[in-house]
Parts: sequence; C-alpha cells; structure tokens
Amino acid sequence: MSEQKNTEGSVQTTGHAWDGDIQEFNNPLPRWWIWAFYASVLFAIGYWIIYPSWPVGFTDKGYLTGVGNTITFKNDKGEDVTTHWNTRALLLEDMQTGPEAMKQKEYLAKVTKASYSQIVADDDMLGFTNAYAKGLFGDNCAACHQAGGAGVMGKYPNLADDGWLYGGSYTQIEQTIKNGRKGSMPGFEDRLSEKQKDDLSEYVLSLSGHEVDRNKAARGAKVFSGEGTCIACHGANAKGNTALGAANLTDRIWSIADVPSAADMEGKKAAIKQVINKGISRHMPAWAGRLSDDEIKLLTVYVHSTLGGGQ
Amino acid sequence: MAETSTQAAAQYNYDIVRKFTIMAMVWGVLGMSVGVYIASELAWPFLNFDIPGLTFGRLRPVHTTLVIFGFGGSALFATSYYIVQRTCQVRLYSGAMANFTFWGWQTAITLAIISYFFGYTQGREYAEMTWPIDLLITVTWVAYLVIYVQTLRRRSQPHIYVANWFFISFILATALLHIFNNWAMPVNLFSLTSYSYHAGVQDAMIQWWYGHNAVGFFLTAAFLGMMYYFVPKQAGRPVYSYRLSIVHFWALSFMYMWVGTHHLHWTAIPDWTSTLAATFSIMLLMPSWGGMINGIMTLSGAWDKLRTDPIMLFMITALSFYGMSTFEGPLMSLKSVNALSHYTDWTIGHVHSGALGWVAMISFGSIYHMLPRLYDTKLFSLKLVYVHFWLATIGIVLYISALWVAGIGQGLMLRAFDDYGNLAYTFIESVSFLYLPYVVRAIGGLFFVIGAIIMAYNLYMTVRQAKRDQAEIDAKLAAKMA
Repeated sequence: MSEQKNTEGSVQTTGHAWDGDIQEFNNPLPRWWIWAFYASVLFAIGYWIIYPSWPVGFTDKGYLTGVGNTITFKNDKGEDVTTHWNTRALLLEDMQTGPEAMKQKEYLAKVTKASYSQIVADDDMLGFTNAYAKGLFGDNCAACHQAGGAGVMGKYPNLADDGWLYGGSYTQIEQTIKNGRKGSMPGFEDRLSEKQKDDLSEYVLSLSGHEVDRNKAARGAKVFSGEGTCIACHGANAKGNTALGAANLTDRIWSIADVPSAADMEGKKAAIKQVINKGISRHMPAWAGRLSDDEIKLLTVYVHSTLGGGQ
Repeated sequence: MAETSTQAAAQYNYDIVRKFTIMAMVWGVLGMSVGVYIASELAWPFLNFDIPGLTFGRLRPVHTTLVIFGFGGSALFATSYYIVQRTCQVRLYSGAMANFTFWGWQTAITLAIISYFFGYTQGREYAEMTWPIDLLITVTWVAYLVIYVQTLRRRSQPHIYVANWFFISFILATALLHIFNNWAMPVNLFSLTSYSYHAGVQDAMIQWWYGHNAVGFFLTAAFLGMMYYFVPKQAGRPVYSYRLSIVHFWALSFMYMWVGTHHLHWTAIPDWTSTLAATFSIMLLMPSWGGMINGIMTLSGAWDKLRTDPIMLFMITALSFYGMSTFEGPLMSLKSVNALSHYTDWTIGHVHSGALGWVAMISFGSIYHMLPRLYDTKLFSLKLVYVHFWLATIGIVLYISALWVAGIGQGLMLRAFDDYGNLAYTFIESVSFLYLPYVVRAIGGLFFVIGAIIMAYNLYMTVRQAKRDQAEIDAKLAAKMA
C-alpha cells in the first residue's frame, strides 16, 4: 500500500477512494485508547495470577490455580481444609464463617433446642422464626395456600382462620407438614335422592346458624345420621374429626363449599349439594425429606402463631 | 468514478438488495411487535389466554429469531450485498445464487417461527431451529460465502474496503458457530427431535460460545461493517483512522471467541474457564470501542449536519449505544458483578441497549440512506424520520432504565439479609417487585415498534413515489416516441 507519511499537524489519507468518495485518514491510534488497552491487559494478567486460569499441564491440577489466594473451610469430618480459590470452597467458607450465616446459625441452634412454647414466649426467638419461616412459606407453601395463607376456596385450605381440619396444635401441624394429607369425602350423587340431598343441605346450613326451613332440616338431620352416614366422619354433633380431617360443620368456616359468597339461600344450598354430590379429593404432599426437621419446626410455629388460629 | 445512479442500477444487482431490505422491515415490525406482546405477558400474564402457542416460552424464540435473523440477518444480507458491490465496483457474483440465499434465508425464518409456535425447538438459545432448518441455513450460508468471496475476487479496486473485512469475518465466524453448536444426531429421519453431540458442561459451554459470538460476530462485527460504509458515506468525510480500523478489527475478532463462558459464571463450569472468560471480556472493551471511536471521530467535523440530517442522528445514537453497551458488557462479565446481575433482567436490558440502540438504530440509519438510492429517488418524508428517531430513542431509554431498575433491584433483593441473618425476601416478592418496571419496559418497546411502523410507512411511500415517477417518465418517453 502506498501509504503517505503523516506530517505534524496535517493528517493525510491512505490515498484510496472507494465507491467514489469513501476515503480513510491515517490518524495514529488514539493514545488514551492504546494505554487503556494495555491497562486492560495488565488487569487480565493480574487476574490470571490471583485466580485459577490457564489450563497448562505443568501443575498437578492441570491448570494454574492462582497465587496467594487460598480458602480454608471445614470438611464433613470437621477438619480444616485449605485450597486454592474456587467457587465451591468459597460457598462452603461463606456458609461456615460468613457473618450472616453465623448469625443465622446461632439463632437456629437456640431455636432447635427450645420447645414450641419457649419459642413463642421469647420475642427474639419468635422474631427469628417468623423471619426465617416467612421465606420457607413463600418459597414452598404459598403456591397453594397463597402469600397470606388464605388459601383458595374449594381447593387449598385457609391457614389464617380458626378452622383446622387436622387439628391446630403444634404437633398436629407438624405432622401435617411432615407427612402431607389426603383429604377425601365420598360423593353421594347416586346414593341419596334429590329430596334427601335438599333436606340434608338445609340441615347442614342450620348447623352454622342459618335461618332454614325447620321441617326440611329435621328431615335432613335424619339423613345425616341415617342413610347419609355423615355422622361416621363428621360426628353426631357435626363438629368433625381431626383424626380423619373431617370438617367441623358448625363453625361457619367453609373450605370447600363456597357458602359465604353465595347470594341467597338457594345459592348456599347449591354449594353444599355440590359437595354432597361430588365428594372431596385433595392432596397435600409430604414435606419431610424436602425440608429439614428444623425447617418444619420453624414453619409449624409460623403457621400456628403468625398466620393465626392456633389452638 | 462518480457514476449516476441510473448507471449504478444497471451496473449493480440492486434487485437482491431491495428484496432483502423489504423483508428486513417486514420481519422487523413483526418481530418487534411479538417482543412487545411477550413483554406485556410478563406484566399481565392473562395475555397467555391459556393458548400454548401464545405463551412466553413459545413466543420468546419467535421474537428473538425474527429480530436477530429475520430483521438483523436480512438487513445484513441487504447492506453487505450493496456495500460489496459498490466498494468493489463490480456486479454481485451470480444473481441466481443470490436469489437462492434470499429464498433459503426467508424459508428458514418462516419455518423456524412456525415450528416454535407448535413447540418444536432444540432448546438452545438463539439456535432453537430444529435440525432440518439448520441444514437449510448451512446451505444458504455457504452460498452467501461463495457469493461474497467471488465478488471480492472480481473487484475492480486494488484494495478491499474495511467494511468487507468485517462482513467476511462475520460470515466465516457464523458458519463455524452454527455448525459446531448444531452438531446433533436426529432421533430418526422423520423426527424433528435430535440429540446434541456434546454433553453436560461441554454442551453448555459450546452453546454459549455460540450464543455470545452470535452477539459478537452477527450483531457486532457485521453491523460494524455496515457502520464503516454508511457513516463516512452519510457524513461525506473520510474514515478517521485506517490504522485503528485494522488494529481493532483483529483485536475484536481474536478476543470475542474467548468470552462466551461469562454467561455461565457461578455454575458447574471449571473455575479457570470462568476466569479466562472474564478477563478476555475486559480486554475486549478497547477493541470494541475502536469501532465507536472510528465512527464518532468520522462524524466529528460534520457535527453541523446533525441539525439538518436525521439519518446522522440515527448513526451517532447507534454509536453511542454501542459504546455504552460494550462498556456495560465487560463490567457484567466480572464474576463479582455477575453474581448480582446473573439471572436478572439487567441482562435483558443490556442485550436490548445493544440490540435496539446499536443494531436496530444503525440498520435504520443505513436503510434510510440506502433505500432512496436503490430506487433512484428521495425519501418520502424527512419529518417522519425525525419522528421515528425520537420515538425510538425515548423507547430505548424507557426500556433499558426500566430493566436496570428491575435487574439491579431483583438482584439486591435476592441477596438481602435481615437482622437475623436470614434471606430477607422470598422469590415471589422479588417477582412482584418487577411489575412496574415490566410495564414501563413494555411501553418503551411499544414506542420503538411504533417508530418502526412509521419507518415502514415512510419507505413504502418512498418506493411508491419512485415507481410513479418512473411510470411518468416512461409515459412521457412513450408519448415522444409515438
């Protein structure tokens, strides 16, 4: 290329023209640009010295492991292990010595030793438990039971009210979380006549204090304890059975039949008849194995005392 | 040397350039609209309408394929065919092969988006096309390379202009990336499913070697080629520094190939690969900026034109966004910054400051420059070019600022601790935080699409006007002859 020399003050073009008028000045590389480039190379070299870098064969690892940049952590046996910088060791070290991890560990140790009543009585422990379990609940439970634990009518039970299908004591809640639950009620679509179902729904509404047709309700009471076999699970007083997960029908709390939002008595009855006809089949998975015992303990406290309705 | 444009139309193959330019606009408007739709789905999920084909997962590759390969690819075919002819002063090699690249490319894009809609994908980002489409692309691409090299070999100029170096490196690198990343064994001849030749971590690293160099060579090097022709042409000034163009071309080509693994920081990859990716990304900063400096310094001395020429506004803005996003990229590739930015919308914001700000803006500017010359006419409306410019610029600013807020905000929420040493936020809390930024992002995207639609209208009217003028001249001529 017949390059023309640059003279001080006047930069010349390379002497070519493309497509009529495209020419090129032959300006030198901007100084700051070339120095910034050298600086980035120096930065890279420094980085290569400190961190694991080139895969060259003469080290026993098969790559340069980095100079003066080691991490010490405890292995499963409790022995100190010192290694070159690597992301896995970095995580272990952070989990074992990081300030946040240490704080959390201290609280966890305290809480796991304490009983449920001790945790609830101590503001500090309860504060920790709620903060920790809020995350557990949000990441694991809220998908069904919703962020505030209010559940979804007809699908996922409300944890924020006072009704507990399987009992609201600490141990019962803990059992529920650990082993999951299978809620089922048979459907009576073909076993009861329309009239019987109508009477029965009238009776069920009377249990929670609704104004109903007394005659119908009286007939319904007979179906409840007789042909309907409802008392087998819900009990003679209709207060349910937490061992079976049978709902208390007297507490004005509804988890399947959407009675509260029905506009009139006909709507309320229709909601109940729907359950009588189709029955219930729902399933909460077991969390033992997915969550640690400690985590389940913290969740139990959270569900019991914070979401409300503990007994 | 300064031939008239009528002569140029006869001398050069403009037909293929026109076809690709039109398809670039068609795919561009369509692809950007799909982008706005899926951005809206993130803010208002009901827009799924429970139709599988409309869900984010299916439409996202439709969006990326349409804008990168449909819009970007067609714009590159158009401008590279235009530039190689004009800077070599020779007609494009083989009109039939050029037509083949047109139909091959358009068919591949069409088949790709139809197959994604029905759920057929390789599951490799930016390489979702199933193997039969990959084969079609390979054949088309080889034809592209042959046409380009043959045209360069026939040049009537002693030297190859810098824009063509970038196009050649883009064509070669894309061929290499495409073939190695899509190396797969089909389940059988009649199945669209295939298994990747690579496995596990190696497969991930191959994918991101491809993925980042799709950005590097497809969306950067090739569009620098575009810049190197249209910026000096539009400014009417010589390129700032020939030396800088050589140095930054080779440095860019060399560095880019190393950096893909920075997409996999803090995963199961060996730590040394992570280090190399981070450091080469840092060393890539100045080579990337070389192109920006050359572009901006070429414009300097013609600053007064910014007041009267909206096409120059597109070009200077494109170069500014190019400079900004090639600074942001190396920053994000540092392990410590990446620990915050990875898996957040910061990444998506970064991509779009490059894709909207650089790729789309330089393409818009180039097409505004090129189209009137292809049809030997003037643009229908310069005022609409201004309107387009401001809509696009406001759109980009809204888009990327919203995603900075979204990404950095979410990143900080996911690493925040409370007083007890617990994580302070649940994942879903970080998601609900995104709602407002997502709305602003969708609005920003909408601005951008409206700008593109105005451009399409402006170009359509320009072509219509050109055809009318031509018809008038023909009629006058016919009258005289009679």
